[in-house]
Amino acid sequence: MSALIFLEWKRLLSRPSARLILFLTIFSPAAGLFLFRPSAADTMSSVFLANPALAGGAAGGILFGLLSISELDRGKRSGTDVLVWTAVSPYTMAAVRLWALLSAALAAFVLTAALWIPAGRILAGSVFDVLDAFWAYFIFMGLALPLAILAAVSAFQFTGRADLSLALFGAFAILSLTLWSGNWQLCWLNPCVWALSDDFSNFRIFRSAAYMRLTWAAGLSGLWILSRPAVRRRKKRAAALFLLLTFFLAWTFQPFTDHSDPDQSVSSFDQIPPADGISCVRRSVRLFPDLRAGTVRGTAVYHFLNTSGKPQSAAFGINPGYRICSASAGGTAVPFSFDGRQEFNEALLEVTLPTGSETELVLEYGGFPREDRSLSAMQGSAEISEEYLYLPNADLAPRLLNVRPAGETIPAVTEITLPSHMTVIPFGPSHAEITAENEDGTLTWRYESEGTGGICYAGDYVRQDIEADGITVEFYYGRKHQDVMEEAGAAEAIQAVIRYCTEHYGPPFCLSGRTLKLIQSRTSGGGYATDGASLLDEADFTAANLKNSAKGAAPGEVMIHELVHQWWGLTQMFDSSDPADPWSAEGLTVYTTYRIVKELYGEEYADTHYTDQWIRETNDYYLNFYVRRPEYFSRLPKKKQLDITNRFSRVRQYCEMPLKIRKAEQLAGGEENMDRILRGLFSREIDPFHPFLTWETFLNACGLTEEDLNLDHDFSI
Amino acid sequence: MEITMKHVSLTYPGGRKALQDLSLTLRSPGLTGLLGPNGAGKSTLIKLLSAALAPDSGTILADGRPLPEQGDYLKSRLGCLPQEFGLFDELTVFQFLDYMAALKGLPCRKTAVQKAIAAVRLGERARSRISTLSGGQRQRVGIAQALLGEPPFLIFDEPTVGLDPEERLQFRNQFARLAKDRLVLLSTHIIEDVQAVCSRLIILREGKILFSGTPDGLIQTVFESGIPFPKAEKEPGAERIFPAAPTLEEAYLRLISGKEGRQPCRL
Repeated sequence: MSALIFLEWKRLLSRPSARLILFLTIFSPAAGLFLFRPSAADTMSSVFLANPALAGGAAGGILFGLLSISELDRGKRSGTDVLVWTAVSPYTMAAVRLWALLSAALAAFVLTAALWIPAGRILAGSVFDVLDAFWAYFIFMGLALPLAILAAVSAFQFTGRADLSLALFGAFAILSLTLWSGNWQLCWLNPCVWALSDDFSNFRIFRSAAYMRLTWAAGLSGLWILSRPAVRRRKKRAAALFLLLTFFLAWTFQPFTDHSDPDQSVSSFDQIPPADGISCVRRSVRLFPDLRAGTVRGTAVYHFLNTSGKPQSAAFGINPGYRICSASAGGTAVPFSFDGRQEFNEALLEVTLPTGSETELVLEYGGFPREDRSLSAMQGSAEISEEYLYLPNADLAPRLLNVRPAGETIPAVTEITLPSHMTVIPFGPSHAEITAENEDGTLTWRYESEGTGGICYAGDYVRQDIEADGITVEFYYGRKHQDVMEEAGAAEAIQAVIRYCTEHYGPPFCLSGRTLKLIQSRTSGGGYATDGASLLDEADFTAANLKNSAKGAAPGEVMIHELVHQWWGLTQMFDSSDPADPWSAEGLTVYTTYRIVKELYGEEYADTHYTDQWIRETNDYYLNFYVRRPEYFSRLPKKKQLDITNRFSRVRQYCEMPLKIRKAEQLAGGEENMDRILRGLFSREIDPFHPFLTWETFLNACGLTEEDLNLDHDFSI
Repeated sequence: MEITMKHVSLTYPGGRKALQDLSLTLRSPGLTGLLGPNGAGKSTLIKLLSAALAPDSGTILADGRPLPEQGDYLKSRLGCLPQEFGLFDELTVFQFLDYMAALKGLPCRKTAVQKAIAAVRLGERARSRISTLSGGQRQRVGIAQALLGEPPFLIFDEPTVGLDPEERLQFRNQFARLAKDRLVLLSTHIIEDVQAVCSRLIILREGKILFSGTPDGLIQTVFESGIPFPKAEKEPGAERIFPAAPTLEEAYLRLISGKEGRQPCRL
């Protein structure tokens, strides 16, 4: 058989059209740099690995599908099949042809990877990881080709006609690229990969994409066997049914996303009434993550006071991927159940507590955490690997829902055992300490916190302590990012920003004490903060972003820009529902960056690199043909319109709005007055139902109108 | 080589009965001619004999091994030229025959290919691309691939179509030579070819064997049994005058244009 496959492979590649398709496939990742960019994140790995690999997979898949149909149709139309089948049975020949096509696809993948992985290394810079690159090309591109071949060959073998099979295969591919592209299980050709991390691992997204590919591989292989020409059909049906059943089961019982209620306006878990006569005194958690498997095993202990004199039901929210191994109170097993409800990535667990006045409930749990199905196209957050670990709330331990604390809050102790290269960072004011160095080389970390939940980060982090204005900033960033951070002058930027912003506006809400943790997180689409800790999305600190001249004239100034977002963007939030709205967090952030740079390097430098650039770009915008003649803009193709709109939005948010703020500064009586206004806005009482700082609020605070801040075409500052 | 068919029937998915309760035995050496009008079931019979189809009922044995289950056994001993076939135009004659030899799993491919090329007298075009060959040359490539490895069982379906009279004569004689030590089945419309070289004839009509025997036996049977010509040919003005000594072609025409449902004639 292998000799026949090699023979057929050689014959296949003797065709000029096959060699052309091989050539086009090898260069198709270039489309991911310019045309087809499904990965939305700005990390270097997303831009220079994920997008080229995804483009290669989509284009290569379509090309190999066409080649498969053309090859099979040729044999049928020319009559060579008839001749070949006199020597080898059609059943065997169908397998030989399939394997020859698959071998050609393998050759295409190997050549593509050999060309593009080194290219990715050059483009992505110091954060490049060869293993991530290999998996990206293998899963996102390589596995697309056999699926496309199986689909195309099956279509031809079922219909026996090139036109029909082309229509079927084309529809199947187009569905994946359009209607199905937001469904991680359906998009067989172009997996949902919204981001790849530069600094941490991509274990979850690789696994999820590979699982999707293998699910489809089982289904399409089943279809191929059913369609395979054969003299007798009975035997093949059993194998096909087995594969189709595997497809169905793998589809139905996928382990990656949960079954949370898609209606996110409903939260019935919050409506569970508190249990009467019972309170929680304290709780503790011991965690043993399996970093290779991406799973968690843990024991959570809850101390309850039950004054009701009767059994009580305690409700917990737990990650839907976990199962309870045992539940016991005082050493005796107690009943527990899941009622099937899932909300916001938590499953409802109910445990019956015995009558005793003091109860120690021990829950042993574990499993592979699932992600919220409403974010199934953005998988990757529940990363548990040897480089990174993120366990929020119900992923960390069962979260108590209906029991009040015995005191003001529930004290909690968390112990987690991890390899020695990982640093544990509780997201909050508490600090983790190493309590044991284990024989297997792992370390056990311990930290104290409060409440029913909590977030734990761990990873291969570098910690840098930075003193600024009496505040100690513990700056944690991924080891792979060390060169970039040092080159960008991260420490100096942090000092400058904290000094300036705290002095001018006040401390960010996350800084109630004198210590602030700044944690660089795996790319998550944005940052967030809590008391004592603030998160920085790695996508904001990529080498490419740090060279973005709209945010700063040098990498260090872009670092300043991103850190200012802790004040304007995180502490003070902006409604970002309309991305074209010129009023966003960027206006005040760019303005503040300008002011800090002015303090650091002088007025001339700041004007040259900021104000003059804003004026130039804003002028260009006002003079743009489509701005002056919008009636022509609407006649452009949608894609062109979108490109122009995006470019205009960037200019309006990053250049026009800072200019308007500078004009407001002049009209308000100068920088000191503007600082006073901004301080007032920063420390204003926030409406929890609409916590955003709006354009109207800003204008009112300045005592100005929209018209006052209109810029003339030949304005100057 | 011995091929045995017992009570073989096959109906196509559309409901057309291709073969009905067909039984025959083919033994080497010998050259058997397969005759019949269009749609008689000749191609279906060849597909069954080459294990490309499975019968609905009945058994087919190749040296006692059942088909199509033991299709690989048969194919390793079979050289077959289908009536309509294609060649890979981008390959040269040698490359194509080498490809077919590899498909057949022949051990000394180069020698086998050279022999086959010599047998069909294509030596001068061995390095030519198939796309540059004439119709007759392509047909010779087809015959050459059937001869690869000197298989003990050869099936030729209309092998001399497209060949000039001289080539036809040469191949006819070659088939006769080949049949001296192997089993050759020749399906053709050219009665002259059959008469010249076949030791046995099988005539099919509507999926049934009408006659199985020697060419002389056919003539004798048809004229002795007084099988009439069809009515249309007996009408005034349409009647043909046959010579006193009947030919095989006349016997064949009389047989296949006789009444439906005739019992097979055997000798």
